[in-house]
Amino acid sequence: MKKSFIQASVINLSLVVLLVLGSLLSGCSGGQSSPGKESGAVKATLSTIKIGAAGPFSGQLSKIGLDSLNAIKMAVDEVNQAGGIGGRQVEVVVGDDGADPARALTVAEKFAADPALVGVIGPMNSDAVNAALPVYERNGLVVISQSATNPKLTQQGYKVMHRICPRDDDQGPAAALFIAQDLKAQRVYILDDKGIYGQGLADQVEKKLKELGMSQVQRGQVSPDDRDFAAILLRIRQANPDLLFLALPNPAQAANLVRQARSAGLKFQVMGGDGLKEKDQLIKASGGTAEGMYVTSIGPSLELIPEAKNFVKAFEGKYGAMSIFSGQSYEATRVLLDAIKKSIQAGGKVSRADVLAAVHNTRDYRGILGFPIGFTDKGDLLGGTIYVLQVKGDDFVQVKTVSAGGK
Amino acid sequence: MAPVSHSGTGPTTHGGAQNLLMVNTAIAPSPWSPLAHGGADNLWGHFWREAKVRPEEQQSKPGEAMMLDQLLQQVFNGVALGSVYALIALGYSMVYGILEMLNFAHGEIFMSGAFLGWIVLSMTLGGTGGWLPPWVGLGLALLLASGGAALLGAAVEVLAYRPLRRASRLSPLLSALGVSIFLQNVVMLATGARVKIYPVERFFPSGLGLILGEVTLPAVKVFVLGVSLILMILLDLLVRKTRLGRAMRATAEDSEAAAYQGISPQRIITLTFLLGSALAGIAGVLVGLYYGQIDFFMGFSAGMKAFTAAVLGGIGNLRGAMLGGLILGLAESLGVAFIEPVYKDVIAFTLLVLALLLRPSGLLGKQVAEKV
Repeated sequence: MKKSFIQASVINLSLVVLLVLGSLLSGCSGGQSSPGKESGAVKATLSTIKIGAAGPFSGQLSKIGLDSLNAIKMAVDEVNQAGGIGGRQVEVVVGDDGADPARALTVAEKFAADPALVGVIGPMNSDAVNAALPVYERNGLVVISQSATNPKLTQQGYKVMHRICPRDDDQGPAAALFIAQDLKAQRVYILDDKGIYGQGLADQVEKKLKELGMSQVQRGQVSPDDRDFAAILLRIRQANPDLLFLALPNPAQAANLVRQARSAGLKFQVMGGDGLKEKDQLIKASGGTAEGMYVTSIGPSLELIPEAKNFVKAFEGKYGAMSIFSGQSYEATRVLLDAIKKSIQAGGKVSRADVLAAVHNTRDYRGILGFPIGFTDKGDLLGGTIYVLQVKGDDFVQVKTVSAGGK
Repeated sequence: MAPVSHSGTGPTTHGGAQNLLMVNTAIAPSPWSPLAHGGADNLWGHFWREAKVRPEEQQSKPGEAMMLDQLLQQVFNGVALGSVYALIALGYSMVYGILEMLNFAHGEIFMSGAFLGWIVLSMTLGGTGGWLPPWVGLGLALLLASGGAALLGAAVEVLAYRPLRRASRLSPLLSALGVSIFLQNVVMLATGARVKIYPVERFFPSGLGLILGEVTLPAVKVFVLGVSLILMILLDLLVRKTRLGRAMRATAEDSEAAAYQGISPQRIITLTFLLGSALAGIAGVLVGLYYGQIDFFMGFSAGMKAFTAAVLGGIGNLRGAMLGGLILGLAESLGVAFIEPVYKDVIAFTLLVLALLLRPSGLLGKQVAEKV
């Protein structure tokens, strides 16, 4: 919204510089935290199989993107260390879209143009997926998004679209049920960040709350880069809600908001969507003020799943506390790798069509998320259950499960 | 410096506090900072009860319009926020006054200061115990952040601007944007993309604040405001009362004539960058305390706001930068009485456009930095 003339021209100028500098930087970025290097070091023999990783690996949402990318590479590295697939090594091609739909489209074109590339993990943001899907569809390139929750994405007839994450019309209504029936809130204030994820989730929560007969539901918005919430908190104080629902994709922003709300003396309960389930960025970042806050989640806490133990240990040992997307990215990558394994022919040939079919027909895949993975005809996740978790101390504790069979 | 000394583990001590100081226990005390509220028989008990009741009263009668106490609360928020804008704006204005150049890397100097402060705080205070008293750690963080940022700012001038001194006016501007993107990415690659947490609770437990009538002034905001005001007064004195300040003003007015008087323009330029960057570095730590978290992208919007403040007050004019910052902060926090909070940033940049259209030289323009 803040498109003053000066800023616009500054942005234009900075784009020029960005082009020059970006090419320099990507040429010399080293170090362990840099994306795209570790797996790039895998010997690129003639016959590597490539998979694409699309997501916001730079810019403001890069924390989410890099958490995912690290998990994707981890899954690929494990397969490569075990000898690859059909004797061929797997390589991750990184496509940074910066959460920008236009760039997601470019990334899709780039992936599609590479004949050795047979499947894509991501894009992560719903609007990026939405923009890139036509290209992937045209090229028969299977897409498994680990975090794009907008319901519309799987309802447009694209055969390539799959996701390993809840839909907003699963977790939104589940959250609304919990708010109305378990917490017995009377007045709810729903805050979103104007993004397709935030607004979509907020719409779903509001719709279900109204269906449940709650009349006092109010909505408000913040900008994704807001750091000061004194203004919106004033509005919220006037609305005097029992519960504040945060439809925000950025846990650090939510933590900041909760912290400021508490220090302004506001005492309502707080609940959020799956994107906020983050130990480091939500609980720790809130300085203890997120205590008692609820979040929804597509699966149980990874810490509680025996199959996930090794992954959690290895990931946290290498990269520190993980976000919810780390687990879903790892699972999505393993589903893709498994599909490649199933469709590889004698002589090591793999076709995009076979991989797409194999991903689509995935049934009862037992991974780390604690429930068997499969897809509906449209590519939505089968059999997911929405969990409601609560912040207690420095961790999330399960308080309730809500079946996601409502759609 | 701060109204209350608070140790991280022991019970809260209200050393030398006046009746104004109290703990607003409407909020559950955070587990990081157990607050001990003595019995109701001591002095604090009275205020403690009062504070416990008041927010509930407020919540039970949601107002339709902004009430007076909320208005005052917003005025205070605006002034605190504005003082930080002002602190960053000073660096913009000083550099423009001397070089007539917009240092768009200034926001990243501010961001680097915040990260330096975070590194010092994490090293000295550590996870639980830490080997320094929190307030000493904070002092050290402010000191090193300002020192580090000053050196960084001066280095940027030497490496990225000085070689372009005789180039077209667009070149240093582009160079500044390049430095800005470079620093953002260096910090991101060096520390990771995650948001970094400032251990604010070690100094200012949430809920600790000054209560003035119906208005709560959170201790951390009081601290931020206090430090900013002190720094601004010191800078003002430096520029107006010292030899050095006179040399700076002379260079800003006419660097050639100043050079004839034996003032080395190069020395003054370096000094300007050192001073402006030191202020930005401190502002970085203050913002870290204010919001409790920092990220590598924070310099961009802060830089834009500070630039707006500088232009609003009259770029090149130091008191103008301070005034511009305060006006911007106030406009942002009071403007939400009339528009949706989500359009908060629109206020800032509308002000910028209006200033450019109606009074291009700013509110206090061209009093200090006269250039022909």
